[in-house]
Amino acid sequence: MKTLLDINNGKRVKILKISGGRGIRQHLQCLGIHIGDIVTLKKSSFLGGPVLLEVNGFDVALGRGVASKIEVEELE
Amino acid sequence: MKIAFIGQPNAGKSTIFNGLAGYKTMTANFPGQTVHYTVSKVKVGDETFEIVDLPGIYSLTAIDMAELESRKYILSGQADVVINVIDASTLSRSLELTLQLTELQVPMVICLNMIDEARRKGIEINSEKLSQIFGVPVIETVANKGIGLDAIFVSAKQAYHKRLIPKIQPFHKDIEEKIEEIEQIITDEFLRNIPRRYMAVKLLEGDRELFEEIEKFPEIIEKIKTIREEIKKTHGRHADTVISSERHALTMNIFEDVAKVGQPLKSFRERIDDLLTNKYLGYPLLFLILFGIFFIVFEVGKIIEEPITDAFDSLSQKLPGFIEENTLLYFIVKGLIEGFSGGVGVAIPYLIPFFIGLTVLEDIGYLPRMAFLMDTIMHRIGLHGKSILPFVVSYGCNVPGVMATRILESPRDRFITATLSVLIPCAARTTVIFGLIGAYIGGLAAAGLYLFNLFVIMILGAVLTKFIPEVTPGLIMEIPPLRMPALKNVFMKTWLRLKDFMLVAWPLLIISSITLSFLEYLKIDLILNKIFAPLVSLVLGLPEQTGITLLFGILRKELSMIMLFQAMHTTELNTVMTDLQLIVYTIFTIFYIPCVGTMGVLLKELGFKRMILISGLTIVIALILAVISRIILSMVI
Repeated sequence: MKTLLDINNGKRVKILKISGGRGIRQHLQCLGIHIGDIVTLKKSSFLGGPVLLEVNGFDVALGRGVASKIEVEELE
Repeated sequence: MKIAFIGQPNAGKSTIFNGLAGYKTMTANFPGQTVHYTVSKVKVGDETFEIVDLPGIYSLTAIDMAELESRKYILSGQADVVINVIDASTLSRSLELTLQLTELQVPMVICLNMIDEARRKGIEINSEKLSQIFGVPVIETVANKGIGLDAIFVSAKQAYHKRLIPKIQPFHKDIEEKIEEIEQIITDEFLRNIPRRYMAVKLLEGDRELFEEIEKFPEIIEKIKTIREEIKKTHGRHADTVISSERHALTMNIFEDVAKVGQPLKSFRERIDDLLTNKYLGYPLLFLILFGIFFIVFEVGKIIEEPITDAFDSLSQKLPGFIEENTLLYFIVKGLIEGFSGGVGVAIPYLIPFFIGLTVLEDIGYLPRMAFLMDTIMHRIGLHGKSILPFVVSYGCNVPGVMATRILESPRDRFITATLSVLIPCAARTTVIFGLIGAYIGGLAAAGLYLFNLFVIMILGAVLTKFIPEVTPGLIMEIPPLRMPALKNVFMKTWLRLKDFMLVAWPLLIISSITLSFLEYLKIDLILNKIFAPLVSLVLGLPEQTGITLLFGILRKELSMIMLFQAMHTTELNTVMTDLQLIVYTIFTIFYIPCVGTMGVLLKELGFKRMILISGLTIVIALILAVISRIILSMVI
């Protein structure tokens, strides 16, 4: 299964599953990131840095630990 | 009438609040800037409104401390009207909070702020339709330009007098049934004055705080757990995820009803943003930006400082011509002049440019981008990128720096970040670094001291992480769009920060200066210096007279330096102290014990035990570093 870490810059993906505890899940939900949302991976910074996502018209930075818990499916 | 402003972080609540109430709260372009709420009274016509600026919350499920505070306030039922401030450019997400606010059943006004930004993104919103859906007034504003703000009080009055309570948007039938089931089992005793539906939904979501409270009612909690399990079985997801998806679906429907999304204007800003967060170029740019600010602060400060201190120096030297030397009056006037000149001549020239620089960085929205860039490095010291925000704020003053740790989710991160924050040279310590090292040894040495400080903080962070291992998930942070800072805002904010210095620190400086002068007159300073002599002369190798200045530094760090001029009876310190002594003195001043103000905020934020722990730790660190640098540098110089 692919996670956000396996995606190249500029690709659009659909969120399939958010694993991890209630803390992460609720935090992402509050920010407006849900299962089924289509997001664009804008960029990943190097050396194990965070990824930058565009979700429903705004940008969110996710650390690698969080990004690795989000399973996605590539579109197109 | 009491009006509370509530909305998601960075939606512009504080900007609106300031536009209505005059300049009272700090705003910045990063999420979570307002960490505690501000209340203000505003008179419109012959009516007085009490307006409350609450910290931003993404949802009524509180994630961090600031959010918890907002939620508590709204649930306390103090507000007569709630103004839901929405960043129109992120309407679909913002509506999720609006849906939750409807459950509170308080008269509401929806305020679509930054409507210009939404248009830039190609989003056209039909506010009339939105108003019909929720049954409350909807107004459009561009707060940073002051557009549309006058409509707020009018709509608030309308909502209050006509009791325009927002309509609840129902979920799917099966979920509504479960909510009803819970509504029936909650007792009034547990409910207090909180609306029943809100409570039922939050319990269904498994809200942590409410679950802790409801522990006392075992029969209720058992039933709720069963209902949550049922939903998990039928939907194949956790109940909280189901509710959140329901809410998301509702907002998407509303969004499609009221908004048309066209082509966004591919903007110049986005290209700049791309560059600022670029994988490779982002880092040299970060370095250049920070270095540039310090360079400008130093250069500009020096130009302003010299003529001012010269003028005061000549005044002090002429003083014996007016008042007889060695009388009490002479000492008091001398103390007064020195304290006064310390404020005007040393602190202000460096503070003003620094505050302007920090404000511009904040308002542009560079700080969250810094958090993005620095996340990797912060992980090395067991924190994540968000901790960089308290650090940067701490370069201005440690007090708001420690307060800014509220944006962090875990108590462990808050503790480590606060501990490291108090070691960051604030504007006061910056004046010491510039005034002693920059002025007598050189700019390069001053810059070196900053790097040394960063190095120590990194090491300490790594050590602390060893003792309190990491359990936090990592960075989750919204990156707001870059914004052009409004000139007025920059000046008002700089003024607000400066006012704080002038009203609190400066009088303290003058009083302490007079006190020291008075002690000198009574020759008590000699006794105090004798007490500190073993530490000051033997361990640190400093002149004995410096002992008392270190004591005064606890009040405010720049006092140490100003007192030093006074204690050594000269502003040409290099004639009485060696370079080595100046460096050791500065290093000790940077690290030892946070100032009184910072200790106060540590006490408030982290409790007595942690405050003592942190303060003690800083003294130990300062002593170790001062001794090591004394030994090593004495071999080099």
